[in-house]
Amino acid sequence: MSNNSFWLLLQKMRAPFIVIVLTHTIAIAGLVSLNGVTADGEPYKMTIFDAFYFISYTATTIGFGETPYSFTYPQRMWVSASIYITVIGWFYGIGSLISTLQDKLLIQEIAKTRFRKKVRNIREDFFIILGYNNVTKKIIGKVLARGYRVVVIEKNTERVNELILENYVPNIPVLQADIYDPNALELAGIKSRYCKGLVSLFEDDNLNLKIALTAKILNQSIPLAIKSTTNNHTENLQDLGVEIIENPFNIISNHIQMLLNAPTLYQVTKWVYRIGDLHTSIFTLPKGLYIICGYGRMGKQIHQVLANNNLPVEFIEIDNKIGTALTKEELKKVIFANADDKEVLKNAKIEEAVAIIAGTNDDTTNLSLLATARKINPHIVTIARENEIENLSLFHYANIHYIFMPSRLLIHKTINALIHPMADKFLELISTKDEQWAQELAQSLREEIGPNPDIFDIKITENDAYAIAKKINSKEAIYLDTLLRSRANHHEYNRIKPLLLWRNKKSYLLPQPQIELQLDDEILFACNGEAIEDIEYIAQNDYELEYILKATI
Amino acid sequence: MNFDKLISGFFIIFAMTLNFGFFYGSMDSLVQHSKYELFAAIVVNLIATTLKIGDKTQIGSVLLATSLVADIQLIAAATVWTITHYTGSIDLHITSVIISLSGGALLANVISVILYIGETLKAKR
Repeated sequence: MSNNSFWLLLQKMRAPFIVIVLTHTIAIAGLVSLNGVTADGEPYKMTIFDAFYFISYTATTIGFGETPYSFTYPQRMWVSASIYITVIGWFYGIGSLISTLQDKLLIQEIAKTRFRKKVRNIREDFFIILGYNNVTKKIIGKVLARGYRVVVIEKNTERVNELILENYVPNIPVLQADIYDPNALELAGIKSRYCKGLVSLFEDDNLNLKIALTAKILNQSIPLAIKSTTNNHTENLQDLGVEIIENPFNIISNHIQMLLNAPTLYQVTKWVYRIGDLHTSIFTLPKGLYIICGYGRMGKQIHQVLANNNLPVEFIEIDNKIGTALTKEELKKVIFANADDKEVLKNAKIEEAVAIIAGTNDDTTNLSLLATARKINPHIVTIARENEIENLSLFHYANIHYIFMPSRLLIHKTINALIHPMADKFLELISTKDEQWAQELAQSLREEIGPNPDIFDIKITENDAYAIAKKINSKEAIYLDTLLRSRANHHEYNRIKPLLLWRNKKSYLLPQPQIELQLDDEILFACNGEAIEDIEYIAQNDYELEYILKATI
Repeated sequence: MNFDKLISGFFIIFAMTLNFGFFYGSMDSLVQHSKYELFAAIVVNLIATTLKIGDKTQIGSVLLATSLVADIQLIAAATVWTITHYTGSIDLHITSVIISLSGGALLANVISVILYIGETLKAKR
């Protein structure tokens, strides 16, 4: 039997059961052996049933009076004794039952059982999200909005309660347990065929690694989205075969690289993440002297990028302790002082600098030092790192040119990678392209579709593209062109542009319409809502497909 | 010596012997079958059942099952006896039903004791 809570309850109730049985037996035995008198004065003895009946209602404090006849004094004396022992027996039993039900272990077992049942009843694709905090909260909201289910494991009672109070629809099963506990992961359904991914974005890299290791042992085929902030851990995760490794500082340095050299590419990236459109004015980072406040993990990554672009950098770091871990060469570059101090900033040649990056992990310091910097050099480009996710952000009112938010980057990256793996691949492929390529793409998207096209992907399988799969199976050639045409008039095209075709781990960036489709092809489109509807009809419906094919012959 | 094992062994075997004591006698008359012995057999069986509760092992579950069978049969015998006694409908047929019910319980108790001994021997080895 798998129901632990039931067995635990039974085991704890052993002693009370025995006490109840024994007290009743003693009381009944006494009554049966005592002599009584009937109403007519005849002597009689109670039968076992008489005694059982009397004790049953006396012990439970119901009390129907003396049956079958009035008792004699010896009988009454025995009954007085019996009442005390049997009633105490009952109270002991009820008391232990209640205390057992309130027992933490039992409550945990019951919660586990209910959690297991809930997870087992999920018949839709779901993600396991570890930890409930500001970052995962946003991820959960977006994942639910896209029609996926979520299962959460969280250790902290308060956060579990917070999640329960949030009243998500559909319901989110939540388990309170150690996050890296293999049993907890198994209970959360990591082996379920509906499980489509696991997200672990903890601050502690070692914890993330531990989780990745456990998850990979339990189920090799589940995509993992794991955070890593150092190269060492990233390599370890790659060795494990983790699909999505998220390094926020790496993402930030990539973005800076783009902003320096290919700002349109950055614009396209933002559009793919669905946090910007192709119309907004493009922000570029100037070339010149950079001041970076904070020489931590983020500072080092940014330094790498700036060094690759041959830009001079000045570092200011407030924490002296960091200095001990640096090499002599690094020590030469870094000024150890409070960056909020005017003199320090002047020493770092702020008057000549073109940009200042406030990258410490303290939001107040970041805001304050940028304000100071602006006072000395009003033309400086300000870049801030925002650490805490708050509903009302001070950073938005501080007129800062550019805000980096590691947690928000993680959210977008995770959602994109889990829900739109094709879009994520697309971003990876274009990250090496140059400004001209990006400008051409952005311009063609703007002209052909609109300032903010939707992103849509389809996989050519019997499930998702029934009509097309049928044609391909009967050896008929279907071209990508088919999916681009309008259902209203098959001689015209929809507002649509294929971005990526993925076939057998090979990618075709911006595929031509003449390419022939094969089974299990995955295609990513930029298009408008009308085109999405048309593609779904054409892919699934035989008649719609026939109509489109007539135009292409 | 394990005190818990002593107690549970005592009750398991005591349940069987009491059950046998009640069952032993002619099948067509209740004269040779004491109602007090039946009462004692039920009580001891209930205690034995309680002591077996909460053991999640395979052998523990089977032990509990045999005990539950014995309980049900003995309580059924007592119920039949009580009802027929007060309705005055006790006859040869009912008598044999009461005794054979306790006989069934005895069989269950014997199995229970055999399992218990088997488990003990296994543990010794």
